[in-house]
Amino acid sequence: MIWKTAWKNVWRNKIRSLVVIVSVTIGIFGGVFAVAVMNGAIEQKVDATLNDEIAHIHINDPGFRDNYDIQLNVANPEEVLATVRSTPGVEAITARSVITGMANTATKSAGVQILGIHPETEKTVLNLHQTTIPGTGDFFETESRYNLAYIGESLAKELNIIRYRIDEYVLDSLSAREVPAEVLEKLTPFSGKRFKSEKSFKKEIKKALTLKEQKSYGLAIKEEAWSFRTRSKMTLTFLDKDQLQTGAVFRIAGIYDIKNSMYEMSQVLVENDVLAKLSGMGEKEYHQLIIRLDDLETSREVNEALKEKLGNLEVMHWKEIQPDLAMMTDMVTKFYAVFMVIILAALAFGIVNTMLMVVLERTKELGMLTAIGMNKKRVFNMIMLESVFLSLVGGVTGILVSKLLITATARKGINFASYAEGFEAMGYPAHIYPVISASFFVTVTILIILTGILSSVYPALKALKLDPAEALRTE
Amino acid sequence: MKVLEIKNVHKIYNSSEVKVHAVNDISLDFEKGEFAAIVGPSGSGKTTLLNMIGGLDTPTEGEILVDKVNLAGLKSSGLIDFRMRNIGFVFQSYNLIPVLTAKENVEFIMSLQKWDKKAMNERTIELLKAVGLEDRINSRPSKLSGGQQQRVAVARALASKPKFVLADEPTANLDSKSTETLLDIMEQLNKDEGITFIFSTHDARVVKKARRVITVEDGKVISDERKN
Repeated sequence: MIWKTAWKNVWRNKIRSLVVIVSVTIGIFGGVFAVAVMNGAIEQKVDATLNDEIAHIHINDPGFRDNYDIQLNVANPEEVLATVRSTPGVEAITARSVITGMANTATKSAGVQILGIHPETEKTVLNLHQTTIPGTGDFFETESRYNLAYIGESLAKELNIIRYRIDEYVLDSLSAREVPAEVLEKLTPFSGKRFKSEKSFKKEIKKALTLKEQKSYGLAIKEEAWSFRTRSKMTLTFLDKDQLQTGAVFRIAGIYDIKNSMYEMSQVLVENDVLAKLSGMGEKEYHQLIIRLDDLETSREVNEALKEKLGNLEVMHWKEIQPDLAMMTDMVTKFYAVFMVIILAALAFGIVNTMLMVVLERTKELGMLTAIGMNKKRVFNMIMLESVFLSLVGGVTGILVSKLLITATARKGINFASYAEGFEAMGYPAHIYPVISASFFVTVTILIILTGILSSVYPALKALKLDPAEALRTE
Repeated sequence: MKVLEIKNVHKIYNSSEVKVHAVNDISLDFEKGEFAAIVGPSGSGKTTLLNMIGGLDTPTEGEILVDKVNLAGLKSSGLIDFRMRNIGFVFQSYNLIPVLTAKENVEFIMSLQKWDKKAMNERTIELLKAVGLEDRINSRPSKLSGGQQQRVAVARALASKPKFVLADEPTANLDSKSTETLLDIMEQLNKDEGITFIFSTHDARVVKKARRVITVEDGKVISDERKN
């Protein structure tokens, strides 16, 4: 009967209750959806990092990562490869040389890390080959008499290998994409022009178009004006095994785009036998072994197992390779809980206020209930239940609304294209697919119930202090 | 059989300015099945006396025994429980729970006492029939007249078969017709259930119905008449 009475009491003053319920709904919806977006971004980042960049475990000489000394190879690489392949949980392994150097074109240069890879085994461990920008080539699949290099889009732009140009072809493509004639007219003066850099391209477009036109058509113009000459050239230079300057001209095999500017700027992939010849290293000499596992959940156990077997080598778990990412994934659940607690704490004040009004308005009724035999525990429970019901109705509605929106946006994602540069500079995708685990909803529901309970304490204590005889005399 | 014994009860209110002797050495006994009215002018101490009988207030001196149990000896939680099981209340302004129906209001105390659902339902229907509201069992108080609400309150007070019912000015907010109906019902229930009714009242109609009239003035019992 107490439960029934408490539930009916919630709807006594419908407007007041709805105000509280709507505020809880908005607060929970906002919090849960924001967490889903953050969580989606982080999950995508972790997925991309593990699948495209670093895989799960690295093995190298213990001193190698201090300054990437070319002399510090993995000792007995064939034995190590065999040991790793026989370890349960290992799906694939690839070996690399890693040399720090410079990438140069006629106009620009940049410091890079040159990775000597075996394309076939590299493909079994990482998915970088799947991120090749269409029209820029492939992942060392086409035979060539030239030295080939596979580089990132950001590096290609930095070295002016990717340029922006506007010509008739571009204007036709834009027209096909329904860019209005007046906008095309404004671009016509640039016809035949190749811009020196992305920066200068953007500057000229900003001058030519209005803000609205830039927002509506800027992305399409950028995509169509993007230009790359197949098998463009660049030079890679570095110090060989004898610490002598060496290098060679490389043609661009393909350009990858993983939406991580930092990685794209620094990592250049070449075929290992080419790098070995240039650097003076043996063809079977490697600096790093990169491992992909069957199941990410077993990464700790496999890491420990490999450490035991390969005591003389450094075996690093992905969380040790990228501690910032590790910190993010480890701390993020606590962060989400704190975030929701802060939202609920703010909402709790509204609930406390409402429940205090409830107690004040029902002083006489509470006096009567005590008089006819409702003990303090039951009075407390009734008020607490009203508070919990109020919180739960708003909270569950908020969860349902956020679940609907997460489901709706999970397939197509949310496009933060206007902020793409900023996102990619931090290594995050600009197109985010919100995602949240079922356990988070359970956590939020528990927090909502706790909020209801805690919000009721002060008002309930006020109710318990009422003297029934005095309360009955209240008008 | 005595259901209530009031022995040399005093109630003194001490404030910084004045000392009020609201109840001054009152001794009364009530038998099972009595239909008694306590009358007196405003400020005579009858409400204070009724509150002490109901365990809502404690005497400064003296004892109040309900079925031989001294109310003053009970702790707060024990007193509330004792009230629930032994004393029924009918208030001047009905004091029904507005969100519950007539049936739910009557069932309320029985549910607190964890009655069996079937027994609870039977007792509720029986009482609502007795007060003439069997066709309004699912109506909320806002849909009932003042007289009807007070009848529900009477049914509620009798629900758990208490030792006695305390009615503080139960007819004060009713018209004459409703008052007559209510008093007839209460008299009939008193006879049928054998439950003692003790009224605090100014209403001459209540006094006329009562079989015992206790007059209180300045905190003292002036007269105690039993009618044949």
